[in-house]
Amino acid sequence: MSEKKQAKSKSGIIMLVVVTLIYALLYYNDAQKSTTSLLASLKVLEMIAPILLVVFFLMALLNTFVDEKSIAKHLGEDSGFKGWVIALFGGILSHGPGYIWYPMLQELRNKGALDGLIVAFLYARSIKLPWLPLMISYFGVSFTIVLSVYVLLGAFVQGIITSKLVK
Amino acid sequence: MPAVLQRLKKASLQTLKSLEVIAPMLLAIVGLVGIFETYITPEMIHTLFSGKVINDTLVGTGAGAISVGQPFLSYIISGELLQEGVSKYAVTAFILSFVTLGVIQLPLEFSIFGARFTLIRNILSFIFALLIAYLTTQTLQLLQGIFS
Repeated sequence: MSEKKQAKSKSGIIMLVVVTLIYALLYYNDAQKSTTSLLASLKVLEMIAPILLVVFFLMALLNTFVDEKSIAKHLGEDSGFKGWVIALFGGILSHGPGYIWYPMLQELRNKGALDGLIVAFLYARSIKLPWLPLMISYFGVSFTIVLSVYVLLGAFVQGIITSKLVK
Repeated sequence: MPAVLQRLKKASLQTLKSLEVIAPMLLAIVGLVGIFETYITPEMIHTLFSGKVINDTLVGTGAGAISVGQPFLSYIISGELLQEGVSKYAVTAFILSFVTLGVIQLPLEFSIFGARFTLIRNILSFIFALLIAYLTTQTLQLLQGIFS
């Protein structure tokens, strides 16, 4: 394991110990409430497990069939308009909480995908297709459309700013 | 074994390894999500808003950043906030930061993407929650003026 990876897994283990300690404290304080928290966490785990599986498969496929050259072409310096379309629509279509996608996105970064496109992907994720009907029923059609258009524009602009900043 | 299958096997093992590295951090974050879900209640979020537009918009962005859960939760809370007279600016900022900012996932984001990327992304998300909230509300008022 590389030094960087070792540091990563070390910080993860420290974090896990800290969270376990917090749970122990909460349990001592209010056993019932902390059990509710633990059950809520298990529910989250249950929800993200299938998506994690999809991410795993995508990553494995990515590592098998997509080489750095084609990443550079579709998501790198020369990707141009196509890169933005992939990032924005990929963001809209990706399911579940953003953090499950982090490992795959980092893999893409390592292979040469632009930081700006990753930022745009992550911001476009605030358009949640399955929840749009509910948003419309709560806030109306015009609010939902106007907000979604600005989110897409905002994702694009943030991507551009990031690209300029990291250069 | 055909070359492709061999490559797939190698890539799968590699992927498994990189997921293994982040597994403890991922578990820790999921554990925190459970705690936040139970201890930060919608009622608590309601009490943060005061009725002052600028103040509430900042509060909305911050509240969205510390809240966790499915996006529909933010719609329900926002619907109630609007009924209570909280401004559309604040509610829109809350909905946006609910999905784009996450205080509890910061350690994970930091350990995977590094400090610089995490900082840039989160600062931009914060600024754009305010900006898009402003633009959305203004645009809706403009549209209302035209069509009424």
